[in-house]
Amino acid sequence: MKLEDIATELGFAELTSDETGSRDAEIDRGYASDLLSDVLAHAPEGGLLVTLQVHLNVIAVASHAELAAVVFAGSRRLDDEVIAKATAEGLSLYSSPADTFDIVGRLYALGVKGNHA
Amino acid sequence: MNVCLADLHVHSALSPCAANDMTPPAIVAAALAEGLDMIAVCDHNSARNTAAVQAAGAGRLTVLAGMEITTAEECHVVGLFPGAAVAEAAGAEVGATLARIEDGYETFFGEQHVLAADGRETARETLALATATPLDVDAVVDLVHRHGGLAVAAHIDRRSFGVIGQLGFFPAEAGFDAVELSRHVTPGSRRQEEFKTYGLPVLHSSDAHYREDVGAARTVLRCAAPTFHELRLALRGERGRSVADA
Repeated sequence: MKLEDIATELGFAELTSDETGSRDAEIDRGYASDLLSDVLAHAPEGGLLVTLQVHLNVIAVASHAELAAVVFAGSRRLDDEVIAKATAEGLSLYSSPADTFDIVGRLYALGVKGNHA
Repeated sequence: MNVCLADLHVHSALSPCAANDMTPPAIVAAALAEGLDMIAVCDHNSARNTAAVQAAGAGRLTVLAGMEITTAEECHVVGLFPGAAVAEAAGAEVGATLARIEDGYETFFGEQHVLAADGRETARETLALATATPLDVDAVVDLVHRHGGLAVAAHIDRRSFGVIGQLGFFPAEAGFDAVELSRHVTPGSRRQEEFKTYGLPVLHSSDAHYREDVGAARTVLRCAAPTFHELRLALRGERGRSVADA
């Protein structure tokens, strides 16, 4: 499913501008973790990350792991610096008021699966 | 007893996320311009630039050898050591647990400059300093103590990489010697008071990654001189030494 359609379907708020992001990317894999070392080691390339971790390094890690998007759960607030870095890296950021468990459940229902599905 | 102004958490250009102009002479100049008596150089998971900054500050500024270690839980722990040699020994132990950098690392995380006292680059660190060690909080505090150091729970007011933000509680049993607050907590504020409930001395440190941030937060020590030994006494509240309320 297209990232843009997933975002619409699940009511994610887009934090980055639609021009720089990867809204057209086809997403079929996802990962959920708040430990960046774990994300770096296991997140699937081209996938989507659901996290509570709002540190600037999340952008470096997501870029290095070649993720398409990051969804911040629980309406976590981001520093402008984080959004600026993501924009520069062409990474789409979204926010959702839902918690990680619910977001992942809804993503699964849309066909976005983990590494071992 | 004298008043000693200390900023015990400053990064150098060895930290991938710090500015490349955080060279030994630049750090010393910034600290002296801020009127500091003592700083600690604390790069992520390495102490390789500590001796160089000490040499750059020789006779003018006390520079403690430190290191900001990332635990397995991704909590940041600042270790402050009695000398650069022991700090580097502790750093070697930490470094042995880290992976080597891969293609693209410097692009995303930043460059890791090992520098001489005059600011010249002598090497580029190839360990992935931006990543976490597999050592948990207890093991990291123990590692710092085994090397004769003081273990400080870094920026515990912050949501990212502070022990409380990562664990949801303060690990009292880990054996920290002090807690550190970032520049986002105003000295003397009610919020600062909250962090005294752990029964540990509260340090204020800048966590400077850029020159202009050196000294942006500082700890006031009542001690005889700006030295590691005096700092240890102040943290323990021994022999009339103390950490003053800023």
